[in-house]
Amino acid sequence: MMATMSGIDIPEGASTRAGLYVHVPFCSSICPYCDFAVTLAGEARRAQWERALLDEAVMYADCGFDFDTVYFGGGTPSALKIDRLTRVVGGLREKLQIDPEAQVFIEVNPEDVSPETARAWRDLGFSSVSVGVQALNDVSLGILGRRHTAEQARRSVESLLEAGFDTVSIDLIFGLPGQARSDWEGQLREGVGLGVQHLSCYQLTFHEGTVFGKRREAGLMTEMGEAPQAELFAITHEVLGTRGFEGYEVSNFALPGHRSTHNLKYWTGAPYLGLGPGAHSFDGVCKRWWNRSKVRLWQRDIDQGRRPVEGEESLTDKQRALETLMLGMRTADGVDLAWLEKRFQTDVIGPNADTLRDLEARGLISRRADRIAPTPAGMAVADALSRAFRIEGD
Amino acid sequence: MDHTRSFCIIAHIDHGKSTLADRLIQHCGAVEDREFRDQILDSMDLERERGITIKSNTISLDYTAKNGENYRLNLIDTPGHVDFSHEVRRSLMSCEGALLLVDASQGVEAQTMANMYLAIEHDLEMVPVINKIDLPAADIERVKEEIEEDLGLDSDDAVLCSAKTGQGVEDVLEAIVNQLPPPEGDPEGPLQVLIFDAQYDSYRGAVLLVRVMNGTMTKGQQVLFMHTKAEHTVEEIGLLKLSREATGSLSAGDVGYVIAGIKSVSDINIGDTITDLAEPADEPVPGYRESKPVVFSSVYPMATDEYGELTKALEKLKLNDAALIYEKDSSQALGFGYRCGFLGLLHLEIVQQRLEREYDLSLLLSAPSVRYRITLNNGERFWIDNPALYPDPTTIDTVEEPFIKAAIMMPDRYIGSVMELCRDRRGEETTFNYLSAGRVELTSEMPLAEVLFDFYDKLKSTTQGYGSFDYEMLDYRVTDVVKVEILVNTEPVDPLSQLVHREKARARALHYCDRLKDTIPKQQFKIAIQGAIGGTVIARSTINAFRKDVTAKCYGGDISRKRKLLEKQKKGKKRMKMVGNVEIPQSAFIAVLKSDTD
Repeated sequence: MMATMSGIDIPEGASTRAGLYVHVPFCSSICPYCDFAVTLAGEARRAQWERALLDEAVMYADCGFDFDTVYFGGGTPSALKIDRLTRVVGGLREKLQIDPEAQVFIEVNPEDVSPETARAWRDLGFSSVSVGVQALNDVSLGILGRRHTAEQARRSVESLLEAGFDTVSIDLIFGLPGQARSDWEGQLREGVGLGVQHLSCYQLTFHEGTVFGKRREAGLMTEMGEAPQAELFAITHEVLGTRGFEGYEVSNFALPGHRSTHNLKYWTGAPYLGLGPGAHSFDGVCKRWWNRSKVRLWQRDIDQGRRPVEGEESLTDKQRALETLMLGMRTADGVDLAWLEKRFQTDVIGPNADTLRDLEARGLISRRADRIAPTPAGMAVADALSRAFRIEGD
Repeated sequence: MDHTRSFCIIAHIDHGKSTLADRLIQHCGAVEDREFRDQILDSMDLERERGITIKSNTISLDYTAKNGENYRLNLIDTPGHVDFSHEVRRSLMSCEGALLLVDASQGVEAQTMANMYLAIEHDLEMVPVINKIDLPAADIERVKEEIEEDLGLDSDDAVLCSAKTGQGVEDVLEAIVNQLPPPEGDPEGPLQVLIFDAQYDSYRGAVLLVRVMNGTMTKGQQVLFMHTKAEHTVEEIGLLKLSREATGSLSAGDVGYVIAGIKSVSDINIGDTITDLAEPADEPVPGYRESKPVVFSSVYPMATDEYGELTKALEKLKLNDAALIYEKDSSQALGFGYRCGFLGLLHLEIVQQRLEREYDLSLLLSAPSVRYRITLNNGERFWIDNPALYPDPTTIDTVEEPFIKAAIMMPDRYIGSVMELCRDRRGEETTFNYLSAGRVELTSEMPLAEVLFDFYDKLKSTTQGYGSFDYEMLDYRVTDVVKVEILVNTEPVDPLSQLVHREKARARALHYCDRLKDTIPKQQFKIAIQGAIGGTVIARSTINAFRKDVTAKCYGGDISRKRKLLEKQKKGKKRMKMVGNVEIPQSAFIAVLKSDTD
């Protein structure tokens, strides 16, 4: 790990080159916990999206970014028919500077996966695939409102592994109301047993405005208590850790060499361009902007020849330093504070000397020279850690 | 002068004083109906919100009576709460008469009587006014009986009105003209001008509200302030209409304002007498009593860099609030602040709210304390109001604490539980007598310190809101107090230290520990809260550490939302105070002062 000329503190697996994110806002059903920009629209709207997306790409043709990762997220990218997906991938390669060797990721739903689609995606150039398994038993899947069965999920992973992706990852959700420790532990073991190289394990979150959020408000559902949540979180790191999966981020676990190089860009301050409704972008220096999240408004702007930007912000060095710390406390690689001070011209070590000593004594961070990193216990309280630090001017 | 009447309105809180004042103003056409705002005299938001008048305001009205003559009516709006009887006093000194306002459904209340006694003390002529006669629950006959029996006034003189509907308002104005005497005084005599209030104007400095007792004061006159010995030149003088109206002079009997280039109210003594510099009066206006603070608390800015602003705000507030006193103070836990003296708990609360609202400050107040008289073994005697200065108990011979005479009025069905409450608050000599059928006045001699902590709340809940409370200072009595300290992870939180009667120490300490447990947010480590007397722990509670506090998803590149949330939380931390390594929110300091029943 070292600081490079472009000023990014690069952890293992990350690169200073840009990432391209493509938001596919279509789903065949909307999950009751999801708060992403998604819609159920049919083929006509999908065709409009395809055209608008490629038009949007043209608007960034001269952005100067050189992309070495591409990520199709959603929504449900696997809900796109293969010929549409082929045109989009081809179109993007044509309009933007995408490295021929770039790693290309796609999120898929188990019900869209068959040996044929798996091969088609692989042939299209996708190198990594992330399956929205969410749970490996039908009761949990029912609670989560998913449309696939556990058996379907298992078969989809098999097909994807067979198709020869570099990395197959599964998403799992824990902390369902009343979930027992043994249930979650069993799912983790089974997940690993499927032979995947990467897992993303998310605590179920109740977002306002979602079906789950409303149910909680109405008292029909309760969020798991803090203590059992903490226990499941710890178990996740423990079970996966003993099986060779490194918890390189709060919710992400990988076998060596299988970290998500694209997601790492978000966490390490690398530049990325987001296309599609609600997508976020960062210039890698100080500017962040984000697209309109309503598909119709996003499309209207593009049709009228405008970038469909809803908002943007220019960050001060102190804000960047704060972000870097905040994100660093979520990753196993942590942050090099000396680098941070130099990069953002901000005192961090001095003003936080007591805090650092304190957090280290409590086993929440580890410190080697000026690099600090959260321990698994620290990761469980990453939000509290980032609040603990004082940035000059606070 | 024959055509001038200066009067105030005496009423229990909620009996409709401000509404009546509004109606009188409206009737006299001082303001166009369309610009009329309800309770126009209560200019501060805070007053409007609480529906009570804190600062007295004065207005001169022109009224053409039924006899065809024009009168100038000086309405002096007085505060209606027990803590502010000093302000009432000052206002009363500039009146000849008072309207004694009684709610037709509620009847005579404790405050009505207390204020009436003050009015009698100042020889004011009184006209009883029965308000809210439009209410279905109005019981005019019973109220008349109370006026006769409790107040000793002739109920035949009582004017009936409804300030809300406007019914009877003209009768009130006629009664003012016909039943209240005109002012006395000699416009040619030596100048005596009573300052009964002061307002702060950011452009003009202190604006003095005055009543000319004798002589005539004119613009440009060189004057002497008899108590402070300060000399000033009258820059502007005039009447208080809805806004100030310069007239160039005021004569005996007039009520108005004076601007004399005075920047700060600390240069003024409210109640002082202004006289002519060259030909001064022999004596100031008699009868002025300086009000003394009885409740003390230290005020600290939440953000230490706001100390300068707090200083400025207190200076300015003092311009409008002569009763407030303060001096520099510092706390081990909270840094620099001010030790302030207040007339009572409500006064304290109002000052705090005004500082926060009008000056946009975020404050912490230490546990309020009374002033104790300490006698040491070596015979040395002194006063302390700050627990931080409490001497080593082994050196103390005696401690005395202030006692008050509490007067509580209530329907008689609550007498048992209120007596119980008084006993619980170490009340002595508790007695009661029937005022009229079903209404009881209970008096009890109790330590003021017992009233500071949640007494109002308890009384209110005990009597379901029907009890009213008033008190006067009595004397100092020997007591047995201990200093209870609150420690958070073994660090003393000195603003929470307090002097408490030995018998109450444990219960109070427990209350504090429980309240802090509920209000201090979880942190990454366990927090032990302890209540202790001289190193001996008498109460404790524990806040467990965070075990999980992390957002599950942080990708799709939406870093901004998460950073903004973090920035907001960090900003929220500015409303926290670090004691040792524990963050204590402002709300915790407030919560400990509230009773369990809230």
